This record gives sequence, C-alpha cells and structure tokens, in this order.
Amino acid sequence: MNRHNAYINGHKGFSSRESGNLSISPHRFRPQSQPALRRRRQLLVRLGIAATCSFLLIFLIFPSFRTPFMTALSLGLLAPAVEGPELPLETVRYYDLSNSDGTARGWEREERVLMCAPLRDAETHLPMFFGHLHNFTYPHHLIDLAFLVSDSKDNTLNLLNELLTELQNDPDPKQPYGEISVIEKDFGQKVNQDVESRHGFAAQASRRKLMAQARNWLLSAALRPTHSWVYWRDVDVETAPFTILEDLMRHNKDVIVPNVWRPLPDWLGGEQPYDLNSWQESETALALADTLDEDAVIVEGYAEYATWRPHLAYLRDPYGDPDMEMEIDGVGGVSILAKANVFRAGVHFPAFSFEKHAETEGFGKMAKRMGFSVVGLPHYTVWHLYEPSVDDIRHMEEMEQERRNRENEEKERAERMKKIKEEFNDPGSEWEKDKNVIDGISQQEEQIRKEHDAAMADKEAKDQEPGDKSSKESTETGSKDTKDTKEPADAKSGDSKASKDAKDTKDTKSAEAEDAEDTKESSNAKDTKEVKKDEKVSKDAKDAKEDTTPKSSKDGKDTKDAKEVKDDTVSKNTKSTKENKEDVDTKDAKDTKKTADGKEGKDKKDVKDKVA
Amino acid sequence: MALPRPLRRTNSITFVLAGLLTIGFLIFIFSPSPNASGLSTAKRKLTNAASHPLSPPTAPFVKQDTSLEAVNKPPPVVHYHLNNVTTTADPIGNQETVLILTPLARFYQEYWNNLLALSYPHHLIALGFIIPKTKEGNAATISLQAAIASTQTGPEAKRFASIIIMRQDFDPPLQSQDEAERHKKENQKARRAAMSRARNSLLFTTIGPSTSWVLWLDADIIETPPTLIQDLASHDKPVIVPNCLQRFTNDQGKADTRPYDYNSWQDSQQAQDMAANMAPDDIILEGYNDMATYRTLMAMTADKSDNRDINAVIALDGVGGTALLVKAEVHRDGAMFPPFAFYHLMETEGFAKMARRLGWGCWGLPNYFVYHYNE
Repeated sequence: MNRHNAYINGHKGFSSRESGNLSISPHRFRPQSQPALRRRRQLLVRLGIAATCSFLLIFLIFPSFRTPFMTALSLGLLAPAVEGPELPLETVRYYDLSNSDGTARGWEREERVLMCAPLRDAETHLPMFFGHLHNFTYPHHLIDLAFLVSDSKDNTLNLLNELLTELQNDPDPKQPYGEISVIEKDFGQKVNQDVESRHGFAAQASRRKLMAQARNWLLSAALRPTHSWVYWRDVDVETAPFTILEDLMRHNKDVIVPNVWRPLPDWLGGEQPYDLNSWQESETALALADTLDEDAVIVEGYAEYATWRPHLAYLRDPYGDPDMEMEIDGVGGVSILAKANVFRAGVHFPAFSFEKHAETEGFGKMAKRMGFSVVGLPHYTVWHLYEPSVDDIRHMEEMEQERRNRENEEKERAERMKKIKEEFNDPGSEWEKDKNVIDGISQQEEQIRKEHDAAMADKEAKDQEPGDKSSKESTETGSKDTKDTKEPADAKSGDSKASKDAKDTKDTKSAEAEDAEDTKESSNAKDTKEVKKDEKVSKDAKDAKEDTTPKSSKDGKDTKDAKEVKDDTVSKNTKSTKENKEDVDTKDAKDTKKTADGKEGKDKKDVKDKVA
Repeated sequence: MALPRPLRRTNSITFVLAGLLTIGFLIFIFSPSPNASGLSTAKRKLTNAASHPLSPPTAPFVKQDTSLEAVNKPPPVVHYHLNNVTTTADPIGNQETVLILTPLARFYQEYWNNLLALSYPHHLIALGFIIPKTKEGNAATISLQAAIASTQTGPEAKRFASIIIMRQDFDPPLQSQDEAERHKKENQKARRAAMSRARNSLLFTTIGPSTSWVLWLDADIIETPPTLIQDLASHDKPVIVPNCLQRFTNDQGKADTRPYDYNSWQDSQQAQDMAANMAPDDIILEGYNDMATYRTLMAMTADKSDNRDINAVIALDGVGGTALLVKAEVHRDGAMFPPFAFYHLMETEGFAKMARRLGWGCWGLPNYFVYHYNE
C-alpha cells in the first residue's frame, strides 16, 4: 500500500529513506518464512510417505491386517478394537403401512406386488410360467417373486433356480424382478397320493388343508411391509393376458379373481370351465353347512354336497364385457389378486374347516367375514393348462378304450373287407389269368388241334391245377382270418355272431366248391345266391359292430359311414361278380374238365365257342 | 520461531525412529483383541445379513453403495430352507432366532431396559413394533427411535439383529376418555378388533423365513426374568404364556402383586353354553358381572410363595397377549388374532382357539411371573 502511494506521489517516495525502508520490510521477511514453511511441508510429506510405507510394509508382512484396516478406513476413524469394527449394516427399518395401501393405478404409484406361486413337482410347467413372467407389463422391478417348493421329487428346484438366475441376469434392464425368495419346505405326504385316494371325496378335505398350509407358509415368509398387493398365480396357467395385474388392479377391489377355463381337445368339446371354487353362497349350501360337523369341509364338484351355488365359471360369455363384476363368496386359487392389507389384517387360507370351507374357498369366506370385498370377473378369462385330472384320466381311459375298440373294429372290418375282396376279386383275377391262358390255349389249339389233341389236354390239366390250389388256399386263409379276429374282439355279443358269420362264409365256400361241379346254367343261378348270402354276412357283421359300439353317437356315425363304405364295396363286389359270371362259367367249365377227363374234347369245343 | 528450530535439525535417524513408532502404533491398534468376540459377532452378523435392502426384515442388510450401478443391480435369488428352521427346547444351542413383537402405544423406558437385560443372545433377536398414527403414537415413535439409536450404536453384544418400526395404516377406533364408555362391551369389541388387526399386520409382514419363535411382549411389560425366552422355550410347547401380575402398594403400604391378565383361562361349561346361545358376531368377554363365565383364570391360580414350582404347566383354552411365546410354525400355519368373533372369541383368546383348531395346544405357566406397568 505504501509503495503504491510512493509511486503515485513520486517525490514522497524518494524524500524520506526511512519510510522507504519500512515499506520494503515485508520483502525482507518473506524469504525467511518461506523456507520454514517449505521445511514444515517437506516434513509432513516425509511423514506421510513414511506412514504409507509402514502401512504397505504391514500389509506385505501381515496380510491379516488388511481387512481391519480397510474397515477402519471406510469409517474414517480408528475404532478401538475392543468394541469391534463398525459394520456397514442397516439394522433398523422404518415402514409406514399407509404407504403400502393398494390403489387402482398401482403402477403409477410404484406399488409393490408380491407374486406367490406354490410349486410341487412342477418341472414341466416352469418354462411356460417363465414365459409369462417375461411378458408381464407391470413394471418388473416392482414385483417380488416368492416360490414355495414342497415335497418335489423331480428337478423343480434346480430348474427354478436356473430360470430365476437367468431372469435376474437378463441384459434387458426391464426384465429382472424385485426380491426373489425360493422357500423350501416339505410338509410330508399326509395324504396317500394314489389316484383313487387323491380324488376321492373323503381325501379332499385333508388335501385342501395341506395345500392351505403350504400357501400360508409361503405368504408368511414372503410378505413384507412394503407390499401393496399380493398376486397368487398357479404355474400351470397356459394363457393369460400380459396385462392381467393392471386389469385386475383397476377394479380396486380387496380380492378379485378372473374366470378360469381350460381348453380341451376337440373330442372333449373344445373348452370347459375349470375353477369351480369361485362361487356365490346359496341358501342350500348354508343350510347344508349347518348340518355338518365342525371339521367337515364342503368341496365343490362332488355329488355328496349338492350346493346349488352360482359358479363364476358357468356364467362366462365369451363376448361379454370383461370388466363386469360379480360378488362372490368362495374364490379359486388359480389367479387371485388381493390387496396386501387383506393379508395383513389376518385373512389367510384356513388349514382347518372355517365355516365348513378350507383353503381358497375359506379364504374368500374369511375375507368376506372381515368385511373385505370379494369379486369375480365372469367374462375375463384365464386359461388353465389342460392337464388331465384323475377324473379326466378316467374319462380319457374310457375314451382311449373306445378308441381302441374302434381301432379293433376297423381292423376287423378291414380284414373282413380284405376277405370279401379276396372272395370276389381274387378269383376274378385268377379267372382273368385263366382266361388268358385259355385264350392262348385255344389259339394254339386251333393251330394244332387235330395233331396234338391228347397232348394238349395234359398241358391244360397241368396249368389248371396250381391256380385252383391257390384259390382254395386264399379262401381258407380268409376263413382263418375271421376266426382270428373273433378272439381279440372284446364285445361278447359280437363274438357269437362273428363266428356264425365265419361259419356262413365257410358254408358258402363249400357251396361254391359243390357248385363248381354243377353245370353252367345252374351254377350261374347259385352264384347270384352266393352274393346275396355274402350281403347277409356283411349285414350281420354290421350288427355285431353296432353291438360293440353303443357308447358314443360319434362312433355310431363312424360305423354308419363304415357301413356305407361297406355297402358300396359289397355292391361293387356283386357287380364284379356279375361281370365275372361268364368267367365263372369258364372256371366251372375248367373244373368239369378236371373232373371228367374223358369229356375233355367236347368241353373244350364248348369253351372255345363261348370265348369266341 | 521456536518450532522450526528442532525440525531443522532432523536427520535420517529421526525418520527411521518415526517410522518404527508408526509401525508399532499400528500393530498395537490393529492387533486382534484378546477376546475377539466383537470381531466374530461382526463376522457372523455379516454372513447373516442380506445383501440387498429387499430382504426379510428380521435380518439386517448390507448398506448399498449409492452409486447408480449398484442401485440398478437386480436383487439376487435367495433360497430359504424352512426345513432347517427348528424350534426346540434348546434355542440358544440351535441358534434359533426369536422375533419379539410389540404393539406399542406408549413407550416406557423400563420396558426397553428390561428388553436389553434379556440374556438371550441379542444377535438372535429381532424386534418388531407397530405404532398407531396418532399424536401419542408419534411421541412413542420418537422415544423408541432414540432408545434404538443408543442401543444399536452401543456395545456390540447388546445390539439386536434387526429392528422394525411400523406405523399402522388404519385409525384406532375412537375412544372416549370416559372410563365407562371405554369399557362398554360394544366398544370393547371394536378396540379388540383394531388390536387384532395391528397384531396381524405386525406379525405377517415381519415373521419372514428364518424366525423360529415369536414372543409377543406388550409395551407395558416392564419386568421379566432375564432368561424369559429360554425358560419359556424350554417347555417346548407350541404356545406358552407366563402369568402376568402387577406390582402395587397395598392398603398397609407394603409392596404387593395382584393378577393382571385375565385372558388366560380354561374353558367352563357355562361359557360354552353361553356361546351356544349367542348371535354369530357376539363375543364373550371376561371380567363383566353380567357375563359370568366361571372359567378357571390362570391369573387367580398363581402361587406367590417363594418356593413355588415355576415350571408347573397347565393346559389353556384362552391365552393373553401380554407375554406369549409362540412357535413360528403355529403362526405360519395360519393361526392369527381374529379381528372378528371366532367361536365368540377375539384377539389372543381367538388366537388360542384357532391354534387349537389347527392342532396346536396352548399352555400356561401359572407360577412364572412377568410384571405389568402400574400407572
């Protein structure tokens, strides 16, 4: 400051020397202080270097010191070792449950959903289920998944783990889900698992109670204070809208279920209501409940308990408004969306008889009891996998049996047809052959008739014999076949008739043989009779078939069709036999040649005439 | 000017000495403490802790890096082996975790001190509180949080594994301050229904997959034996309840105790007959003159002599909730506190009924005492 003044007022700066000395005094002190500061800094730096060196030395010599050092460093202070180092752990959690009340537009308020899926031997369904998981439109990071794997004997657990890890490591940031819990708990098989006992009426109650127990364990282990909704989903749902969570949420009901149907193979009618546990209470059922003892469980779908309840499943209209709601009392467990506060209030899946119901039906009842709204959507459908239940398996076995019977009949029919064809066509072709042979013979004969009369006759005899044998053989095998088919045919009534038929055919054959010895005219007449007989035989066969297949109308149709086909073939056969009549004559003629050698010459003349 | 002088004289020997000293200090500081208990507890805690905030609240979780990358990392797939969760008569030996649940309306420091005095290993204890969203509840929350903060930063051995504070999502039923009004039977029903809902909310959101035992302890239980959990568990009963008494000064000015919790009882034929003639939503209440149930109350059968048999066990039909040890599987099976008339019973009495419907028995220790706060 002084110096500046001095420069501005020049004379003043030079006039007094003492003032000038004073003004430059800071210049004199600065070089002194600087090295001191520098030295101090240098010292600090050296100390720092020494410290780091010693740290490094310690780390090199004693690796065990590294971890405590790191924890100490992360906290920024050297905590005394007696108290133990601080951990980066959060032990206190604060939740306000009013922040996790479900609303109609949960995805906008970032409401968390807990999705529960109980699993048992579900390996085959898992890939399908994960396909659904990939497709959900509700923000995935807001959905927590919880699985309960219980008493599984297949590879469910490993496959589940594999698929979940894959899902969480998906490169698409929108795919991974929130918290994922896989709960392993075996409850033991209290119920005998064989088909009859599993679906027997008596076993239903304890089976339902066991399933309820599994659901409760899953829920209690997975429900968190942050959840606003709980979605129960079976893994064997085949088709469901990707937006199902939003669709159900929009109704803003405490408990809501869609309609559950299942597709069926065409031979079972195409589709069928699946979940009969969603129903409205009826007076009949209430009256029935009063008569039952404390531990009884009313199960839908058994004749023992005719409840006359309106079922959600039966009210479906494929073209109905999917948003239509219906108040229900019991719910099915295939796909339930419920507000978490329903479960927080204590509603669960009763593993005991609660108002004569257990599991999901009891859940619906209990929710109602606590004043929550329980609603079903009759026209909003989720499709359950068609997985034959025991009833269905029994039904399918019946169907399979019928199919097998039908197959047998078809086989039998085919054999019969073959036999008929053999009876009528094969001789025809043989006769054709014979005719050709005869033609050739006759031509030859014309040439050298007179010179080699006797020689020709021998030749003819030789040619004839093998053909005749073969035709006889074929008829024999035909009759044998009919005998064979008798045995596998299950229908007893058909059996006797078939054997009669077989006898008939034998008869006709023997008659044929007899006919062969008769003269041409009479044999013609008999042949037409034979055809009629055969028609009768085929009719008998038809009757027999109708007896064996009285079960389904479709079968009836099939057999009708078959009859028509048969009739056609039979009539064709009759036509062909008529066409072949003349050939038959020639055959007859040949036969007569065989039997009567002496008259050969004359007969051949006749043959020649006829052929000409 | 005095400081720089000795520094100026520094030479290499000084630095070597300084380095040696540093090393010595560091060795002293980082050498593992002789008992090493703190470190091992910490390690055990670390292995028990969840790696993601989205985890069961009964275990602590490792704090997340606030970096974006870590936040976006999806939670891992976690397996819980519930087959390995045991509930045995030797809970400490089997490292069984206990969840202490308390519906809190008013915070008593004595309650907290009693909790801290429990000899059960604190790293196996998780605490859960549910507090109504009222003015009183807010005050209780603040005092509770202060107590928690001092405990959880205090000595490692006293810290609890995890603490959950929860605020109710429904309003408590309006209570008139009038004593007669509050004890009217109809109000009693609404009060107990709200209490049941609070208990259920607390229970089903905190029980998680690793809890072995659930200890229901009311906020006004201020004195229990420090071995409460071990003692109750040693009986290996699905549901067990000690006798709840209250200390008071009697007419002679002497310290005395009187029975407090009347909800632990054995049923009577009269009560059953009464229930049979009730409407489905009516409940039987204990302690009303116009509703004489003639039940055997456990509180009345207490033997207060010094040489009493504290291990005496009786079967009960109804239980009180002041102190109640329940095997977690009983709750997991679905036994909850009915907020509706369940066999004409509600709350803890209804719970006992439901547990029995599920095949679990309820038991009482008439001579094992816990003490209720006396206002």
